[in-house]
Amino acid sequence: MALLRALSLTKTYGSVRALDGVSFEIGEGITGLLGSNGAGKTTSLKLFLGLIRPDSGSAEVLGHDPRVSPEFRARVGYAPEHDCLPKGVSAAEFLAYMAEVSGLPRSAARLRASDILRHVGLFEERYRPIGTYSTGMKQRVKLAQALVHDPLLAFLDEPTAGLDPIGRREMLELIRRVGRDFGISIVISTHLMGDVERACDSVVVLNAGRLLRTGAVSGLTEETEALEIELVEGAPALQEALAAKGLTARLDGNRLTLEQVTGEDYDTVRDAIVSSEALLYRLAPARLALADVFSTPSEEGEAT
Amino acid sequence: MTTGPAEIFDLGYQGWEGQRTSRWRRRRAIWRDGVRISLGLGRGAGAKFASWLLIGLALVPMVVLVAISAFLSPTQEAADGFELPSYADYYDWALVPLTLFAAVVAPLLLCPDRRDGVLALYGARPITATDYVASRWAAFLTVAGLAAWLPVVVLFAWNALDAASPGSWLSDNWDVVPRSLASAAAVAIPLTTLALLTASFAKRRAYAAVATLAVVLVGSAVAGIGEDSFDGSVADVISLAGLPDVTVDTVRWIFSDERGPSRAGWLSGLWLAGVTVVLAIWLLQRTRQLVRE
Repeated sequence: MALLRALSLTKTYGSVRALDGVSFEIGEGITGLLGSNGAGKTTSLKLFLGLIRPDSGSAEVLGHDPRVSPEFRARVGYAPEHDCLPKGVSAAEFLAYMAEVSGLPRSAARLRASDILRHVGLFEERYRPIGTYSTGMKQRVKLAQALVHDPLLAFLDEPTAGLDPIGRREMLELIRRVGRDFGISIVISTHLMGDVERACDSVVVLNAGRLLRTGAVSGLTEETEALEIELVEGAPALQEALAAKGLTARLDGNRLTLEQVTGEDYDTVRDAIVSSEALLYRLAPARLALADVFSTPSEEGEAT
Repeated sequence: MTTGPAEIFDLGYQGWEGQRTSRWRRRRAIWRDGVRISLGLGRGAGAKFASWLLIGLALVPMVVLVAISAFLSPTQEAADGFELPSYADYYDWALVPLTLFAAVVAPLLLCPDRRDGVLALYGARPITATDYVASRWAAFLTVAGLAAWLPVVVLFAWNALDAASPGSWLSDNWDVVPRSLASAAAVAIPLTTLALLTASFAKRRAYAAVATLAVVLVGSAVAGIGEDSFDGSVADVISLAGLPDVTVDTVRWIFSDERGPSRAGWLSGLWLAGVTVVLAIWLLQRTRQLVRE
């Protein structure tokens, strides 16, 4: 079931075309909205939240047109990229207030505020003013306020911004847990491919306001027909041995890459390694990195 | 009966299965938060100081005057020599602390939300920008309106108690109640709207406070210069720039206590209402723009 649907969405700011007729659907699970700065990610989120209107095309969130009424936002969460937390208020008080503004009764709002702060690991610190929190703790509060009213769908804009590697890993694990255990679908807007590869089930790739590609992350990083041979030493000798057996390998440092290999070629490679006395470190089918999405055309799930 | 070792069960994530509240309840949550901010409730002593000091400055003089009147009332001669201010007269004094209250405290309802980026979160909630700013506006109006109304209520209550026959006095003077409410509204609504509008252009409370006071003081100065330099209708038109004077004229008109400039009291009221509507529309458009950013 599609939770989000963009149909020929176009939005311009003066002479800048932020989105240029993009169409895509996002279903349940964790989806990455991937693109560099200016790709149209934040504009897309604003359109889905109903904060701005498209020049043409339409957006649909949970079956609602975001322009018609704000009521659908009772089931939508949002954590912006920039600072959005008051400094002098405790996390528990702020979350309870945000839950109430999102449509939860007052008593339930307080209970859920404490509960969600426990889930994001801030239960002990919940009565401290937010201004005294570290960057990592603030990112968790931002996530918590997006979830406190029990949304069906949450938009997280650059959720790992400003975090160190450990904090980033923990945040991505937390997001995975929210998507897996809480049953809340998540859209992560990010320019970091690593975040998408680690946390997301599917990805929508935007580039300069156009849709580049969409599909499952596993599909975009699938094995290819190329073979990668990484060696401790003897790479040039192995290249010669392979050439002698009719296989062309591309040499890159201690790494050889063979394109379009078949099952029989594996036997040939094995024999060449033995005959050249090269010291093998790793031999495996090459995988597409998500980075390749920006440089290679695709047949399926290509931009529409 | 034997008891085993204690066990802790983690119920995991629990979704909200109950009913969600109406949009009015969500607006009320923002209004209640705004009232708490206006009074400094749930905040430190510093946050309470300015609010309660300025509200006190508007209210306490009336309480003191009534207390003096009560103290003197047993002595007929002394009581005759002491006269309480009229309902309208009191606003000549109360407008000063009330203006300061609006200038200093009202920005707290908008500036921190803007400075800390919280507006983006309101924009993603099931409310509109209009809901947000109207709730904030209503919250400050509630506090400012009560601060403007209470002194008159104190005077009204004392006049009733001091009358030879309180019952007949009340039946003769019941119209003071709606007039006092209208006067409090005439004082509080323009001040609230102006103070929130200037706050919507500043991220820091101090800048907003200075801007509000500048608008009031510069307007009064222009009105004063106009009245000194011109005569007749020209002076009347220029004097409309002075918001405090226009407000007091309106209050006098409401209480049928007109002894101000030559222009009619209703004209002051109409001008005040018109200016307030323009400011309110501007505030609404400005807030919509801020939430979209």
